[in-house]
This record gives sequence, structure tokens and C-alpha cells, in this order.
Amino acid sequence: MKIVVCISNVPDTTTRIKFLEGNASIDTSGIQWVINPWDELSLTRALELRDDPASGVKTVTVAHAGPASSEPTIRKALAIGADDAIRVNCEPADAFFTASQLAAAISKEGFDIIICGIESSDFNGSAVGGMISEFLGIPSVSSVSGLSIENGAPVFTREIDGGRESLKVPVPCVAIVQKGIAKEPRIASMRGIMAARTKPVRVYETVDTDCLTEIAGFEKPAPGAACKYIDPDDPARLIELLQNEARVI
Amino acid sequence: MLKQLIFIIALAITLAVFAYTVSRLIKLFSLTKPAFPLKDWGKRFCLLLKVAFGQTKIFRRPVVGLLHALVFWGFCIILFGSIEMVIDGVSGSEKSLSFLGPVHDVLMAAGDIFALLVGIPIIVFTIRRSLMNVKRFSGTEMKAKSHIDAIVSLSLILLLMVSLLLMNTGYLGFHRLSGTEIKGSYPVSSFIAGLLPGFSVSGFHTLYEINWWLHILTIFFFANYLPYSKHFHVFMSIPNVFLSRLDPPGKLDNMESISNEVRLMLNPETAFSQVPAGPAPERFGVKDVTDVTWKNYFDSLSCTECGRCTSVCPANLTGKMLSPRKVMMNLRARMKEIGPRLVKNGKLFSDNKSLLGDYVSEEEIWACTTCNACVQECPVNINQPSIIVDMRRYLVLEEGKAPGELKSVFSNIENNGAPWQYSSEDRLNWTKDLDFEIPVFAELPAGTKPEYLFWVGCAGAYDDRYKKVVRAFAAILNRLNVSYAVLGKEETCTGDPARRAGNEMLFQMQAMQVIETMKKYEVKKIITTCPHCFNTFRNEYPDLGGNYEVVSYLQFIESSISEGKLRLNSGKLKGLGITFHDPCYLGRANNIYSEPRKIIGAISAGTVEMKRNKSFALCCGAGGGQMFKEAEKGDKEIFIERTEEALETGAEIIATACPFCMTMITDGLKYKNREEDIRNLDIAELVMETMEI
Repeated sequence: MKIVVCISNVPDTTTRIKFLEGNASIDTSGIQWVINPWDELSLTRALELRDDPASGVKTVTVAHAGPASSEPTIRKALAIGADDAIRVNCEPADAFFTASQLAAAISKEGFDIIICGIESSDFNGSAVGGMISEFLGIPSVSSVSGLSIENGAPVFTREIDGGRESLKVPVPCVAIVQKGIAKEPRIASMRGIMAARTKPVRVYETVDTDCLTEIAGFEKPAPGAACKYIDPDDPARLIELLQNEARVI
Repeated sequence: MLKQLIFIIALAITLAVFAYTVSRLIKLFSLTKPAFPLKDWGKRFCLLLKVAFGQTKIFRRPVVGLLHALVFWGFCIILFGSIEMVIDGVSGSEKSLSFLGPVHDVLMAAGDIFALLVGIPIIVFTIRRSLMNVKRFSGTEMKAKSHIDAIVSLSLILLLMVSLLLMNTGYLGFHRLSGTEIKGSYPVSSFIAGLLPGFSVSGFHTLYEINWWLHILTIFFFANYLPYSKHFHVFMSIPNVFLSRLDPPGKLDNMESISNEVRLMLNPETAFSQVPAGPAPERFGVKDVTDVTWKNYFDSLSCTECGRCTSVCPANLTGKMLSPRKVMMNLRARMKEIGPRLVKNGKLFSDNKSLLGDYVSEEEIWACTTCNACVQECPVNINQPSIIVDMRRYLVLEEGKAPGELKSVFSNIENNGAPWQYSSEDRLNWTKDLDFEIPVFAELPAGTKPEYLFWVGCAGAYDDRYKKVVRAFAAILNRLNVSYAVLGKEETCTGDPARRAGNEMLFQMQAMQVIETMKKYEVKKIITTCPHCFNTFRNEYPDLGGNYEVVSYLQFIESSISEGKLRLNSGKLKGLGITFHDPCYLGRANNIYSEPRKIIGAISAGTVEMKRNKSFALCCGAGGGQMFKEAEKGDKEIFIERTEEALETGAEIIATACPFCMTMITDGLKYKNREEDIRNLDIAELVMETMEI
């Protein structure tokens, strides 16, 4: 069984995002790029399955749509333990474009399960996973928080209101996963880092597709107001602030 | 003639068995890895005189230390008599070394007296061990075998001393009664002989012969028993002291194999290509006995299970599984188990067991605070933390394993250059609203070369409480018109927490980046408030090519006071008691004890020491990566133990000099509900509060 984990290259969460003139694009200078946290956990779970002989998972491939400059992020995934990688050489524009490029490349490679993080921490569009399954005409399950393989078939677990739901899905399929998929991201071992230098990364050129959206502009949220501390012995002050300043009661 | 023959046969057997033991040991040592290069012979010789022959570390516990020292010195003196006995036995002579005249007389007399001075402590030791409940003689690693081993050794030594005295008594009595010449003087035996008025010439002679044989045969047996017992320490400890690691205890050894990798990674040409990097090391870190250095193994053979290390270990004291003594005993036991089979079947032989995992658990090694209390205490200079960190290195570098919180610390350091998840853009937030400017290297006019780099550190930049400390120190620098600048957004973690948590790779990546930044600004002198950064710069960066004059803020403040540049007004804190908590990385790691005390002395007359202070100080519990993780399972938090000790002094102010200690002690005060009446202040804050403008 082969698992493909789609990884997105996103700014580290501590990055202070700045926009270029006209607020239509992001200033990428000085940004520390990392694997999208959801994808990092997906990769961790995929590797756990591969390392368990009973699962039947033989290889884990990471797939990425992005320019050559995202190579360090791909190598990081390889260092963490992925067996190989594919990269579609492009500047990802929107979810539709990214999903179509990934779908095309992955279909050439062959796979049993595709795992996508439910969203990426940069644009948080939450659309790529579902779109990939549509492009490939295969089932997908969203909000997956548990993945195991039983008798050669994947079992997905989802958190639902007041409980948990288990789904059996025929392969090939797409799992769109939540953060609970793995406890904590795996870190790269020294051997992994050394091996990553020479693991294969296959590069695909883009297929013809349209961008369905265009970014008109970005803006930053208004800075949050300072936190006010109220003496626990002075509840009247709290009520007053909630009534007159926050106007919530 | 017959006596001579029997003696020679006995001696030959002894030497043959001993030679077999030694050859076996040499083979076991050949399984180990190289350690530090041996040089600085002068220093080693001084250490030998001080620690081995002077017994300085044993005297850290004065009463029991004196007893041990008597035994040690006694052995050294009595050894002379034993050599003489061997010569006598082989040549059939009597007192063959008496040609040395007065020297011989003195040594014989001293040996006779020491037989008593050794015998008495041995009796005390035996009673203490078997009847008194001494805490450090117990512990999970102290099985019945250890106690039997100890009692056997003590009994053999007692037998040696008693037989020596009785032999001397027989010798004296025989020569006195037969009117022949007595070579040497024997004050204690002379007294004993006086108690035996009924003995005849032949009676004394028989007493002499029996005890002569008893003594020498016990020596022969003892010499061959020792290598198989914990008391091998009798042979190994003197060489172990001579072969001590001479680096400051705060320094961790550099992993050269990792440096090569990091250089490849930081170079864009080689980062993602196959490069002939030479053969990769068999294993990063320590998993089993073939990964340890010869010095680690030597340490384990020198350990006599005295438990001084474990009795001062903050983790062990608070009920955690870690015991430094156990780690040493485990190494020795594991080598005993697998070593001979590795020798026989080759180094690749496996019994599917390993030192880490089957002997030492991961829980144990993650409990270490690298406070070096064990190193400080060990009478024979064993280094326990180095092998503990090497086991962490194995887990992190080979298996990618670490407690979850430490994995986050690794990602944070890698991604945003600090153990916490904060943006490097915020590194100068601590300077906001100061009424003076903080010079930043990148913003200095061209050609400006500040004398010092003030290294703020991650806690100084991001920890709200500790920001006040760096602000205070900046105010002091400003007040003294010191030429300095900070790196601001260009500062990043030194890598220290990563290194101590076993992530040597990340440490070296950080260190090499920092060294590059330092090069850019031609930094020569670094001043810092953080003892961990201080230790890393001072002791560890030179291995990677970063050589700076590194100054702790305490040294700087103290010298400013003693040079009269900084005057403190002791009136401001009048009547307030101050107690100082020694940070491990200033104290034991770098021997900075007097500076903080001189500064506090200049502030207040009411300084009080905690029960455990200076080199005896108890760690706050945050070192060695513990700051960032949950403590391992135990029955108490280390910071509570230390806070309680600080509170016992009755001082109103607990002075600290380290961001981690501050967090721990402040937490301890909250836990004890004493934050209202007891203040935890950094020395920089005390100085700022009291300095005269």
C-alpha cells in the first residue's frame, strides 16, 4: 500500500506577515518556511503506519506544488522519514489550481491513500483535499482525526457531535485530516537528515488549468486591545466595564 | 627453602591470575571509543596530588572523609611493607629493605600505627553499613550483592590490618626474647606484645609466621578479588583521577561527526547533494557499551558505589528514577554481560539487549538537570552527565525520540530561533519605554565598534518577568557609560537547550549561525546575564571556532564595584535579609561563587546562606532542558525543595542570577503562597534598586 501525503509550504506561525505595495501580495523576504502543521501531522501518522509491518503500508510519498525554493521544506519531510517526493514546478495560485496540479501528478505516480491536511496555515482555504478527490473521481472523507488500516482497508475516525464515527472507505481514496491524526509531529533524526539529501524528488511540469480566483488585496486585522485586569475583590468594576465599555450585558 | 618455594608458587599464581584479569580488561577496553586526547600532564599531576593523595573531595564530608583518608593514607604506607614482604618471600630474607636505615624505621613505625588507624575506621564502616541506616547505601541499584561485596572487602581489609599487627607483634616478641636485632620500630605492636607476657620465643615465632603468611596470602587473594568486585576502585581510582576530564564541567563534548554534517547543510552547494562526507559514524550517541568512550568505562570501574553522587542528585532527591551511581553500575554490569561475548564473536554480535533500554531507562536519562552536582561530589572525578547526555544524543539523533515538549522546543529553535514560539521581530520589545537608547549593531553608524556585545538571550527578549532583569542590567550598563550594543532581531538561540536535550545537530546549526553573525560585527567581548548562554559561549563555542572574551554580568558588576565605578547604597534595603541561590551554570560549571556574594554584601549586611550553597547548592530543577518539559515522575518538584530551603533562611529576598532559576523560584514562592511577603529578585535588579546615580 502506498500513501501520498500532500504538503504545503507555509510561513512559520511566528512570522509577522507583511504585504508588498498595493497590499496585493505577501512580502516573502525573511520568512521562515515550514511544513503546514496539519500536513506535518498527516505525515507523522503515515510514517507510523509504514513503520508498522502489520499495516501493509510500504511507502510514503510527499507531494507538493510549488517552486524550487520550497525544496528545503520537501527535504525536511524526507528527513522526517518520507521515502520519496514529487513536486509540481509551479507558483501555487489558488486551491483549484493547486488541487488540479497535485491530482495530475499524483495520478501518474499511483497511490492508495492520499492524505491532505484539512487546511493550510497560510490561506486556510480548506478546499484542496476535496478538490483532489473530485479531480480523481475517488471518495474522500473530511475532518478525519484517526486513520488505521484493518485487513488492508483504511478505517477513518471522525469526531462527531457527542461521539465518534468510524468509516470504512475503499481505496483509492482521499483523507482530509484534522490535527488529532497524530499526537505530536515526528522530528527528523540525524540519519534521516543525512538520508534526505539523496532521496529522490521527482519534478513534474504543470498541466494546463485555470486559476478561478484572483487576489484583490490583503489587510491585517485591527490590533487587539490591551487586556484589562480587574481586582477580584471589585466585581462592580467588571460589571461596569462589561456594560459600558464592552456593551455585552 | 621450602617456604621460599611455596611463596614463589603463590606469587606466580597471583601474578598469573592478575595478568589474565588485566588482559581481559584490555580486550574490554578495546571495545570502547576514543575519548579526549591526553595532555596537560602537569595539571594532571597536580590533580593527582590534590584529589587522590590529598583526598580533597572525600573531605567534602569531613568526618567520614577523615576516616576514609586514614584508610587511604594507611594503604599507601603499608604498601611499602608489603613490597618488602614480597622481596623477603622470594629471597628468603627478613626485612630486606632495612638497609634504608631511618627511612625504613619510619615507614615500619608508620605502617604499624596506620594498621590501627585503618583498622578502626574499617570497623566503624562495617558497623555503619550494616547497623546504621545510611540513606546513600540504599537505592534500587543497591542489591544484596553490593552489600555482601562491601562487607567482604571490609572484612578482608580488617583481616589484613589485624594480621599485620599480630605479625609485627610476633616479630617484636621473638627478637626481644631471643635478644636478636629488631629492624624498625613498631609502637602499636610493642604495646600488644606487652599484653602477652606468657608468650615464649617459639610462641612469638609461630605468631609471626602464621600472621606473615595470613597477611601476604590475603593480599594475594585481595589483589585478585578486587577486579571482580566494586572495590576495584582501590586500583582504579588513582589512575582515574590522573586521567580526569580537565574541561570545565559545564562543557559538553563537541560531536565532530555532526559538525561535518552541519557544515554540509549550511553550505548551499552541498546542502542537497551527495557528497563524499567520509564514512558516517557507526552510531550517534550512546546506546550500548560499544558506543561509550574508554573513559566512561574507566569511570564505571572506578566507582565504588559510595553513592555520594546520588545523594546530591536533585532528581534522585525528589524521588525520580535517575541515580547517577546506577548509571555507572549499569555500564559496568552491561560490559560484564556483553563485553566478553563481543570480544569472542566480534563487535557486531547482539544479544538483543542494550545499556539504554534494558539497564538505563529513558525516564532516567530525561530526569537529569545537568547540574553537575554528581561531578562535583564524586571523590574520584567520575563524569556521570556526559554519558547521560550521550544517551539523550542517541535517542534524538538516531531515533528522533524526545519528550513531546522538547520536540516543540526543537521546532521553535529551528523555526523562530527561540525555545518559545515568539517572532524574532519581537526581540527588542524589552527595550520599549526605556528612558535611554539601546544601541543595536545593525543600526550603528558605519565604523562604530562597541566594546561589548550585550547578549540578551531568549528569556531576556520574551519572558515578561525576566525582561525586567535585562532592562535593569541595561540601565547599569548605561549608567556606567559602557560601550556596547545588542544584536536585536539578529539574535537567535545559542543552541544550549537543544544541546542539553541531545539535539547536537540543532545546537551546532545555531552555534554556527551565531558565530557568523558575530564575525559580521567583529564581536570580541560578550557580556550576558544568562548563565546558560554564558557557559555555552565561554566553554562550547571555541570548539566550533567562536573565540570570545565572555563576561558574566556578575563579574562585570563586581569589578565595577571594586574599581569604585559603581557605588551601591546599602541603606535602601537596610534590615532586609537576602539569600542567594547559586545557578549551576555559574557555580559548579564555571566557579563563579564569590562575585554574587560580594555584590550582595555591598547591598545588604543581612545576607544568609542556604543550607546547601556554593558548590553544594541544589539545582532549581530547570537545567538540562527541564525548563521546557514536565518533570519526570517523582514525589516532589525540585523547585519546591529548593524554595523551601530558601524560605528556611528567613530572608525577605531570594536573589537569583539566571532566568530559569528565577522562573523556578518564583513558581516555588507561588506554590508556597509566599509571593506576597518574599521577593525573588535578580542581582541586576538589586543593583539597579540600590545604585547611586
